[in-house]
Amino acid sequence: MNSTRRNFLKASAALGAACSVGFPDIWIKNASLAHAAGGEVKVGILYSLTGTTAIIEKSLNQACLMAIEEINAAGGINGMQIKPVVEDPASDPATFAEKARKLVLGDKCVSLFGSYTSASRKAVLPVVEKYHNLYWYPTLYEGRECSQNVIYTGAVPNQQQQDFVPWLVKNFGKKFYLIGSNYIYPKEENNVCKILLKRLGGEVVGEEYVPLGHSEFSSVIQKIKDTQPNVIFSTVVGDSVVALHRQYKAAGLDPAKMPMASLTTSEEEIAAMGGEFAEGHFTSAPYFMSYDSPENQKFVAAFKKKYGPDKVTNFVSEPAYFQVYLFKQAVEKLGGKDITPPEIRKASWDQEFKAPQGVVKIDPKNSHTYLWPKIGEAQRNGQFKIIEQSKESIEPKPYWAYPGQVCTPEGLKQA
Amino acid sequence: MTDTNSMRWRLTGYVLFCVIILVFPYILNNDYLLNKYARYLIFGVLSAALSFSWGYTGILNLGQAVSFGLGSYAMAMALKLRTIPIQTGAGGLPDFMVWNNVKALPWFWEPFHSYTFAVFAGLGIPMLLAFVLGWFMFRGRITGVFVAIITLAMLVVINLVIVDQQKYTGGFNGITDLSTFKAFGVGFDAYSLSTYYLVAGTLCVVLLGGLAITRTKLGLILQAIRDDENRVRYFGYDVASYQNFAFTLSAGVAGFAGMLYTLVMEFASPTFLSVQLSLSIVIWCAVGGRGSLLGAALGAILVTGVQGNLSESPTFLDTWMLIMGAIFIIVVLFLPNGLISLAEKGVRLLKHKSARETATHPVAGAAIATFDSKRVRES
Repeated sequence: MNSTRRNFLKASAALGAACSVGFPDIWIKNASLAHAAGGEVKVGILYSLTGTTAIIEKSLNQACLMAIEEINAAGGINGMQIKPVVEDPASDPATFAEKARKLVLGDKCVSLFGSYTSASRKAVLPVVEKYHNLYWYPTLYEGRECSQNVIYTGAVPNQQQQDFVPWLVKNFGKKFYLIGSNYIYPKEENNVCKILLKRLGGEVVGEEYVPLGHSEFSSVIQKIKDTQPNVIFSTVVGDSVVALHRQYKAAGLDPAKMPMASLTTSEEEIAAMGGEFAEGHFTSAPYFMSYDSPENQKFVAAFKKKYGPDKVTNFVSEPAYFQVYLFKQAVEKLGGKDITPPEIRKASWDQEFKAPQGVVKIDPKNSHTYLWPKIGEAQRNGQFKIIEQSKESIEPKPYWAYPGQVCTPEGLKQA
Repeated sequence: MTDTNSMRWRLTGYVLFCVIILVFPYILNNDYLLNKYARYLIFGVLSAALSFSWGYTGILNLGQAVSFGLGSYAMAMALKLRTIPIQTGAGGLPDFMVWNNVKALPWFWEPFHSYTFAVFAGLGIPMLLAFVLGWFMFRGRITGVFVAIITLAMLVVINLVIVDQQKYTGGFNGITDLSTFKAFGVGFDAYSLSTYYLVAGTLCVVLLGGLAITRTKLGLILQAIRDDENRVRYFGYDVASYQNFAFTLSAGVAGFAGMLYTLVMEFASPTFLSVQLSLSIVIWCAVGGRGSLLGAALGAILVTGVQGNLSESPTFLDTWMLIMGAIFIIVVLFLPNGLISLAEKGVRLLKHKSARETATHPVAGAAIATFDSKRVRES
């Protein structure tokens, strides 16, 4: 028995070596045949339906499926129906990787739509990169990524901040207190904020990171009282947002004098904390549910009709919705050609779509998206009043804070 | 007599299982499935390791994922230092360190330039940690539920440290964007046959090696400690050392499984040392049968396999968690010694065993029977 095993191991080593040479080519040829077959376009949907981030990700799943349904009802793509394969990655990065492999290798989907957290996107990257698939990622994130196998439709730091920070300085003052949850997104946003402040002659009077899920802000609020900033710049996420707003109000601070300026507080968080705690604070995002455009009215009405009158749309579910349309246009553009993920990627460049937030466009330089940042003031009724909107859509610069590094269609370049 | 007989059956079962997993790629050579099953087999290794400390020695380690995660990080650190330089900072500094404004590679990352060091670290760090923790626990005669609480606390602490120290660990995202492991001229790509065989071979060695240990005097003492610690102590054995041996060995195997997991998943994440995963290992072990290494391994493979396939079927997309929960409850209620006890009952029926034997502990029945007779003689 022992010798058998040894032989197996030897054979396997040889086979393994043989396999790793020259096998990607074969696979891709087969894949392109599989992708085009059947008169339908198979896509994978990878948003958690269970686990810690399920509440928000479910809204992304719903927005995505609604878009697919609308497209199919209107005749599909060049007569082909989009066939969604829905998986539940259970808010766990390892499960994200497992399901992504199933969708890419097992189901041979031509694109995947998914992820809310950066951790889950990072877990999916190895498989989409190795097998040249395409991942459509709807969430605002920290930037600094230049994958040739991802289309990013959420905002990167420069888009959320380049109008917001000057506006805050102009209206409230130059002293900022930075507070965020302790992970990469807040740190990166604050790196950008600090650069912008320096240009404007502002100063950072405090910088604080709290663990994810943290709910005790009394020491932070004491420091804020001591340093008296003009703006509290917040990138706190999740349940901590609720605790921070409530304790801010309990401490007797006044939003008119020292507002919280957030990149992460959406209608969902306000619903969880209650409008009276959010009132008077500001958020910068490309989309608010209250935004007045015919496309948005249609989007919100359709969403409520399909999933219930109490449902809210937010700045992540809106890209989860419009990115399916961008995908559709890209596949449409391919016409009779083989529908393969790399071809879809190329065809998606420069695609424009009239999204609920405005006309969005995929930047061919870095596969991120031109967006329409807005500044919203939270209202007692849980919605945002839109105070400012950029005059034109803002170019995505995922390496904005890092001069010398440029994202190109061939990957990251060091200038 | 019956003892050797039952051993023969058990050995047949173990060997049959090893043959199946080794032949498997010849039946189904598909890189996606190889990768998928390699992942399940790693859970099998992890679960068998827990069975060694829990089922055989009576140490319920709720922090098994610590060893697994540390092994995974050790491998990921070595692979991270070999990624293509453009994705990293000056001098090959990992990307997440650049984002966190770290200027130079921290000292404890330096040795991971060497694969040899990384492999020894992946084994050695979990073992050292387990040994030190075990030394304090078992010398202090801490047993039962308190061991479970301490190991669980250890897990939470280490997990928090890793998430918090993102400058050095990649924090919440873990260590991603890794190169492929190469050793002795063979590349271990996540989807390759070589990786599958590395994993399957490890599981075979762990199962057969583990079975061999349980048959030695050492193994019998471990099982005796599980059944009655004080009695063994009165016999003059140094119980704490035996317990620590099982605890540390189990940690080493889990650490090795963690290294393999990084190869198969292509990243390391703090969720690999999550409470959720650690409790899952206990569930796999309980479902399969904690008193049998093979049972525990099968439990892991079955539970994760069923879970994977159930959640992939559109019919069960919304209900798969409920179904898994129901399965666990049913097994724990009706098969307290796990699914493997079904097989053992089957064997016994086949052999028309006497009623006396059925009454003894059905899982480690044979081993205990030996000890029982010894005990009777000595008392």
